[in-house]
Amino acid sequence: MFAEENGLRGDPRLREIFEAIRVVPHFPKPGIMFQDITPLFTNPQVFKHTVDIFVERYRDKGISVVAGVEARGFMFGPSIALAIGAKFVPLRKRGKLPGEVISEYYDLEYGKDCLEMHTDAVEKGDKAVVVDDLIATGGTLSAAIKLIERIGAEVVECACVIGVPAAMGQKRLNGRPVYMLVEPKDFQG
Amino acid sequence: MFCLQFSSFTTPPIKNVEGKTVSSYTASGISVKSGSSSNPCAFTSTKSADSWLFCGWSSGGGALAAAERGKMSVAHLESSDVDGVDDRIRRISSTIRVIPDFPKPGIIFQDITTLLLDHQAFKDTIDLFVERYEGKNINVVAGVEARGFIFGPPIALAIGAKFVPLRKPKKLPGEVISEEYSLEYGTDIMEMHIGAVQPGENALVVDDLIATGGTLGAAIRLLERVGANVVECACVIELPELKGRERLADKPLFVLISS
Repeated sequence: MFAEENGLRGDPRLREIFEAIRVVPHFPKPGIMFQDITPLFTNPQVFKHTVDIFVERYRDKGISVVAGVEARGFMFGPSIALAIGAKFVPLRKRGKLPGEVISEYYDLEYGKDCLEMHTDAVEKGDKAVVVDDLIATGGTLSAAIKLIERIGAEVVECACVIGVPAAMGQKRLNGRPVYMLVEPKDFQG
Repeated sequence: MFCLQFSSFTTPPIKNVEGKTVSSYTASGISVKSGSSSNPCAFTSTKSADSWLFCGWSSGGGALAAAERGKMSVAHLESSDVDGVDDRIRRISSTIRVIPDFPKPGIIFQDITTLLLDHQAFKDTIDLFVERYEGKNINVVAGVEARGFIFGPPIALAIGAKFVPLRKPKKLPGEVISEEYSLEYGTDIMEMHIGAVQPGENALVVDDLIATGGTLGAAIRLLERVGANVVECACVIELPELKGRERLADKPLFVLISS
């Protein structure tokens, strides 16, 4: 679901967040219009708005875990976790987390990638939100959901700054809702 | 109300008069003024080739001394409650998990992910940095991929600064500048967006840990190449035996825990 259709219609913060996104054409390869969120962070007010919107949504809901997908999920997740009193759990590429991990493989356009989580990061009974900058096909987020649910915790929602309408009701998200602030921006060449 | 000053070229265990371990800090060329109850300890930087190791803090709401307007000279960790700082650092330290032989045999890995699972400890970590840097005209917090992305943004958010990610090659889209740095075997590259940082801006570099200082050294060079003023490097953990402090181009380093 999009923020605008869920209580935030006309919220000027959404406009500011959308304006801050920079589109870089043909990155990382030809045909891809990359949605660059780093300009959000060079404007402290816009970064604050982004965090505030997620915090307003998730505070006082018994969320005990905010899981962030490496690496851009790390830029948003911790601030949200701190504000709502939750643990922050990093979900990382293969081989980065020391100690005991569980791994989940997921499909890329060509080939597979892998996401890992510490076995003791999350407990049965935890309620989690998974954070990433953007949802496209949902492959990464579906792996994140699987990791958390394998331990017996519950994924309440996925939270992304940018998302496509096609992400809503995505079967691979295992029925978990995704909350998105804005749609991808077009490139103005 | 007290001030301590150690002059040393090594890093001994740092304790205050009550024998409690405190944060450590170093800078080049510090002169120490003695404090009184009305004029808390203040420290100004002077030109000196010597390195001093200093630790300690003043209580009673002393102000941070700034030698020049808009430029941070030497800072001291300020707390109106000495025990509060100790307790927080003790808690933070207790949450860090040590994992032997990772990523390879012989390396003792300091895992901060367990700190992130303790909400109070994570909050205290950020608070200790924010207390140090708020109101000091810091414009930029630069965080080193990937664990610097966990600590940098919350600090930036709290002090009203920009957050600038420093990334591995080919991760940042658009125009970047690159800086090569040494690893134990071979080299790596760190990149920063052009236009993220303006000349004259005051910057911090944040990472979870400083080991050899190679990564932080590269970060400092990137920021200085675009004309920023790197005020300090800030890490949760230091591994002092690896002498990373010496590779920071005389920039000050502030850490919470020396391991």
